[in-house]
Amino acid sequence: MSDHSIRFRLNGAVVERVVPAERLLLDLLRSDLGKTGTKDGCSIGVCGLCTVQVDGAPMSACLLLATQIDGAAITTVEGLASADGPSELQEAFIAEGGFQCGICTSGQLVAAAALLEARPDATAAEVSDWMMGNLCRCTGYYGIARAIASARPR
Amino acid sequence: MTGPALFMTPERRLDGTDKISGATKYTGDIEFPGALEAAFVRSPYPHARIRSVDAVRARALPGVRAVITGADVGGARLGRRLQDWPVLCWDEVLFVGDRVAAVAADSRAIAEEAVRLIDVDYEELPALLDMEAALRPDAPALHPESASYRFLEGRGPRPSGPHPNHQGYVSESHGGDVDAAFAGAVRVFEHEFTTPRIHQLALEPHAAVVWIVGDRVHVVSTNKAPFTLRDQMAASLGLEPGRIVVDNGPIGGDFGGKGLSTDEYVLYFLARVTGKPVRAITRMADELTAMNPRHASRIRLRTGVDATGRIVAHESHATFDGGAYAAGKPTPRLMVEGGVQTLEGYRVPASRHEAAVVYTNHVPGGHMRAPGQPQNVFASESHLDIIARELGISPLELRRRNLAHSGDPVTSGGPWHGPDLHALLDRAATEIDADRKRGPGRGVGFAIGVRHVGTGSTTITLRLDRDGRIEVTTGVGEQGGGQHTLIQRIVAATLAVDPARVSVRRLDTDSPKDPGIGGSRVTPVHGGAARAAAEALREKLGGRAIADAAATLLEPIEVSVKYDATAADHGACAHAMEVAVDAETGAVRVLEAVVVVDVGQVINPVGLRGQLEGGFVYGLGMALTEDLAVEHGRIRASNLGDYKLPTIADVPPLRIVHLNDGHGVGPYGARSSGELVNPGVPAVLANAVADASGARVHTLPITAERVWTALQAKN
Ligand code: FES
Ligand code: FES
Repeated sequence: MSDHSIRFRLNGAVVERVVPAERLLLDLLRSDLGKTGTKDGCSIGVCGLCTVQVDGAPMSACLLLATQIDGAAITTVEGLASADGPSELQEAFIAEGGFQCGICTSGQLVAAAALLEARPDATAAEVSDWMMGNLCRCTGYYGIARAIASARPR
Repeated sequence: MTGPALFMTPERRLDGTDKISGATKYTGDIEFPGALEAAFVRSPYPHARIRSVDAVRARALPGVRAVITGADVGGARLGRRLQDWPVLCWDEVLFVGDRVAAVAADSRAIAEEAVRLIDVDYEELPALLDMEAALRPDAPALHPESASYRFLEGRGPRPSGPHPNHQGYVSESHGGDVDAAFAGAVRVFEHEFTTPRIHQLALEPHAAVVWIVGDRVHVVSTNKAPFTLRDQMAASLGLEPGRIVVDNGPIGGDFGGKGLSTDEYVLYFLARVTGKPVRAITRMADELTAMNPRHASRIRLRTGVDATGRIVAHESHATFDGGAYAAGKPTPRLMVEGGVQTLEGYRVPASRHEAAVVYTNHVPGGHMRAPGQPQNVFASESHLDIIARELGISPLELRRRNLAHSGDPVTSGGPWHGPDLHALLDRAATEIDADRKRGPGRGVGFAIGVRHVGTGSTTITLRLDRDGRIEVTTGVGEQGGGQHTLIQRIVAATLAVDPARVSVRRLDTDSPKDPGIGGSRVTPVHGGAARAAAEALREKLGGRAIADAAATLLEPIEVSVKYDATAADHGACAHAMEVAVDAETGAVRVLEAVVVVDVGQVINPVGLRGQLEGGFVYGLGMALTEDLAVEHGRIRASNLGDYKLPTIADVPPLRIVHLNDGHGVGPYGARSSGELVNPGVPAVLANAVADASGARVHTLPITAERVWTALQAKN
């Protein structure tokens, strides 16, 4: 198996790395780079726990090879806060009960942040459509929907 | 703010900042330098004899540090109460997924590769894949040696049933001569219902790390009851409990499934032979196929009523598929207790209940959010609805005639203790506008849910520092329910301090014993202990305000209180739901759901709402889609894509209404909420579908196909 050198931005910072061809982005983030905010649930692209933004678009890190993100800008949950602290969306997840156990929360936040960026005026139905790939077993989704609605720019 | 005034303000969860930033370290996130990764060889057969295990090729693989088989575990069996499950099987495997060998390697990929290189020679044996077949007089006993199994916390010997394939068996009757009561009935009705196996499906898979330093065994795991895990491991492995220390971090969802741990035992042996920490993170495929799902059930109910539709006699026969081992059940009767007393919450003067959990060659059943109860409530509330229609009384009216008032005899044998069920049902009827005429294909249903408030004992310690900060220490963890925030707020309210000045720290098992999370116990037990400890601190300070008292301290002071929650109580709710049924396809759409609850005093308003909403959708999955189907003993779902969980697009409008009769027995009048709502959802949905379409579905989940079939049968 061959090794490849890749270069990408992770939450704004440039990362250069040599990775084996079969290395998954999820393992690169969690094991090699210690960014464990991104979680591994189903490992097959169904649960959304591993959602990261690749150039702004939400994608499952368990389905991407590290070599595929060469040159891209990756945002993980660790990149959602600013120097002033957590984003309005993140705070809304606390205030509205957007999580309980928290295992799905990184993925939910990363997907929702991408939505607010791409379609700030999304209707409730569009929010559901966008967030459908992010499972949550705790909240029943109502708190997540409230959190996203309350963080929408008015 | 003190007492209820604080409880009205929304809480900011103690674990909030870490969870929204990705900083929370779950078991699978912790870095253990030098740790090995484990993987397991699992049986492809529901029942087979192991002739031989050949691990030569696996051992030769670079990066493999150890391979162990059943021969290496010294006959150790694991379990929460009855230890009947081999840590690794040595002579027979009893279900598809049973473990035969384990590998520790430098990486997970190498460990999994090594597993593929291990050859097991099996001799396939006839399998018991049907509960009835397993209980036939001539059925072979799956556990002929069961008399020698360890039964923990020796409250007498292991309970036995009339057949050796009974894991648990209960036969009880209440209120005198049940046959005579049936003889006095004007009409008697009998119906049968079935429910499939379903999965807890916490999105965090089970995970564990074990390492040994000197004579101490260190364990970090996703288990939600670390002290009981320690005791179970000690018994199984023949170690002094004090030699094991379990230190569990936050848990990524539980729903009962995190009460059973199976990897920790194998990891102990792997850590012993390798001298290194060994970690296992369960693959979702193994979660689905091999980790203690909710029991499949068949429940037959018989009820006699008088001329006015009042229940005079009732009996139930419930059979639960316990699978190959009873190890997942912690209860003294090895029973899914919520499945025993059918028609809970109704006035029933005479009743008889037979419930059996049966050994089969299926995946072992375990505990899942209100164990046994959703199966029971689906059967009971559907049964009542059918009776109402047969009698020509509205289902709502039949319930009104039969719901228990305080002190009425109920099927637990005792008088009813708990919220005003009539008030809950009346409010649900009003909220859903029960009397409104609905168009064709639309209808409403009702169901009642009651859930006991847990009991138990724990110790909580408070330490007041000179700066006025209070640190609480407890043995209970956080699996998402907001346990630590609950403790924080009760301490703050009792001592009239800002919650921000109260922190909560979890201790490992080298501290006073704690029962862990489960059985709807945290609010009454840990909440009660928090209040008692806060009151003890206040007393020690002579009743002075905390800030004043703290300023005069020369050193921090500490109080430690062991608290026993013993009072009997229930949380209760009434469900109402409106659905639309498509007569062409049988497809069901939930238009609106109402849940009226009495959970007593609210402590964490945000967290409580989450428990109730989350519980509703948890029940909705069971009602509409979830089915861990088996074929020839093998679970068909091999990944999460094969098991249909509700998504954000599937949840209907939901209205939650709170009533409070003021008699909750928990701290400040609180009651439990985590297991209250999900049990009634399949029932209310089934009843709404029948009202909308006339289709009565006796089997979960209520798929379009089943509704369509019931519609054809009716026409
Ligand atoms: S872990 Fe990637 S989608 Fe589930
Ligand atoms: S918060 Fe637990 S799965 Fe979503």
